[in-house]
Amino acid sequence: MAAGTLYTYPENWRAFKAQIAAQYSGAALKVASTTPAFTFGQTNRTPAFLQNFPLGKVPAYQGDDGFCLFESNAIAHYLSNEALRGATPQAAAQVLQWVSFADSEIIPPASTWVFPTLGIMQFNKQATEQAKEDVKRALTVLNQHLNTRTFLVGERISLADITVVCSMLWLYKQVLEPSFRQPYNNVNRWFITCINQPQFKVVLGEVKLCEKMAQFDAKKFAEMQPKKEAAPKKEKAPKEAAKPQEKKEKKKEEKKEEKKPAPEEDMDDCDAALAAEPKSKDPFAHLPKSTFVMIEFKRKYSNEDTLAVAIPHFWDNFDKEGYSIWYSQYKYSDELTLTFKSCNLITGMFQRLDKLRKNAFASVILFGTDNNSSISGIWVFRGQELAFPVTDWQIDYESYDWRKLDSDSEECKTMVKEYFAWEGDFKHVGKAFNQGKIFK
Amino acid sequence: MALRELSSLEKFLELKKPNKYSTQGDKKVPVLQSSDGPPLVGLITIACNLVKEAKRSELLGDSAESRAVVQQWLEYRVTKLNNYNKDDIRTILKDLNLYLQDKTFMAENQFTLADILMYYGIHPIILDLAMQEKEQFMNVTRWFDHIQHYPGVRRHLPPVVVLKNRIYPSRH
Repeated sequence: MAAGTLYTYPENWRAFKAQIAAQYSGAALKVASTTPAFTFGQTNRTPAFLQNFPLGKVPAYQGDDGFCLFESNAIAHYLSNEALRGATPQAAAQVLQWVSFADSEIIPPASTWVFPTLGIMQFNKQATEQAKEDVKRALTVLNQHLNTRTFLVGERISLADITVVCSMLWLYKQVLEPSFRQPYNNVNRWFITCINQPQFKVVLGEVKLCEKMAQFDAKKFAEMQPKKEAAPKKEKAPKEAAKPQEKKEKKKEEKKEEKKPAPEEDMDDCDAALAAEPKSKDPFAHLPKSTFVMIEFKRKYSNEDTLAVAIPHFWDNFDKEGYSIWYSQYKYSDELTLTFKSCNLITGMFQRLDKLRKNAFASVILFGTDNNSSISGIWVFRGQELAFPVTDWQIDYESYDWRKLDSDSEECKTMVKEYFAWEGDFKHVGKAFNQGKIFK
Repeated sequence: MALRELSSLEKFLELKKPNKYSTQGDKKVPVLQSSDGPPLVGLITIACNLVKEAKRSELLGDSAESRAVVQQWLEYRVTKLNNYNKDDIRTILKDLNLYLQDKTFMAENQFTLADILMYYGIHPIILDLAMQEKEQFMNVTRWFDHIQHYPGVRRHLPPVVVLKNRIYPSRH
């Protein structure tokens, strides 16, 4: 059984993984987190420490037999027993899958969202909003998985649960307020069960779940800033000044070990850099600039009369080089039953296509009545191709037939008019208008 | 049924000497004759006693609140699951499904005697469910599957097949 010392600063969620694993396996683990055993910022910069752990980062593990390890996941793995690691090759691989999931799907957006609320990173509204969406996506995946399962892998707690729970600690403590987490019932149940296991409790103490979403703490952020950014003249200046350094650091240290506030260490430059990097590339970036300003049209559509102002504006400004118009029709209209369910189908698709909003507009209409209905719509997309196959937003798209319309044709003009205004004959449908939904 | 349950429980608790039980009345209430006192009557009384004998009192709950919840479900077990008629089944499943929506175990966050006896009691119902019904009462099914896989619990009962991938995902 492994026996050794874990060097870390106090309350480090990365160290928690190893500590909880040791609780389960019975590994004799001493934690060195306070002076004199370990002083963060000093001990980890001594030559003796760097000799064993060249990155100088924590948590770091040194066995009584001299065996040294850095990287928290490796340490947690080492301190586990077979049950935690996964007893079969399949289970072990699944454990690794969730450990990686935590690192790549949860930690980056969680850091982007939570760090500003702790005052250790500058707030960027766009990045935070994007992070919230990414967190939602990860939660959705987990929620689905845990619908039929008690724990992530097999029927017992494993390193997968330990790792993913620890990676979500800050989310649950700082920002996942009840209304935000409410849709992820299965995740909540699992999380609460885990943190209340005696082996977790010994390490984590009582975890208090967030009651109100924490917001950016500007005052704390100002206090936490090291002196090098002492006199920023403009808001943008320090950011740019820090850039070359950030880059250098990033190359060296892909993953930062520390996440807790600790002013003596400029630890968050890297996380900041990681977070600032755009998560997904804009698939429309290669297209030449278009004269048609989508947002302008949407504003007109939302605020002014559709027939009198918005549609004329649309045709006056529409750029058929830069945009295309498509007709979509739901393939399985025979399976449509209650109208409210069909409407959920449409709005669900809109939600899943959230990322497309900047580059698309659509009016999708449900025709007919219960058990005799159809769904079709008019879409305006950036570019000349269907946006779905060229991006990773292919959700739902295969359930529809798509037809590109010639924007100069009468057919197209009529359809745009009817669909945008939600009124007209809708001759091609043969059913009465029931209700419409707008993607904007 | 109760007697086999008690003997499974004894094995789960790793009690060395199996007890001899008798029954009384039409409902075959189990009775345990003890050498140094009055006989113990009833499934719950005997089960709790076995747990204490095995020095596993955490299975009865580790706080005042969870002890109360454990007792609540033990009572539910004998009042609702010992004799039910066909019409009750859906109500039982619906109630449990709602209760287990945000819980992993019957009481608080720990595995307790309530899980064991509720599992034994509901087993015949779950065994008869169609796959689609198992999905409909997903929270019950998930809990049930977890408990039947809990080391040492299943014993005399056949395993019930539970799918982790839903095949009727469109329902609710």
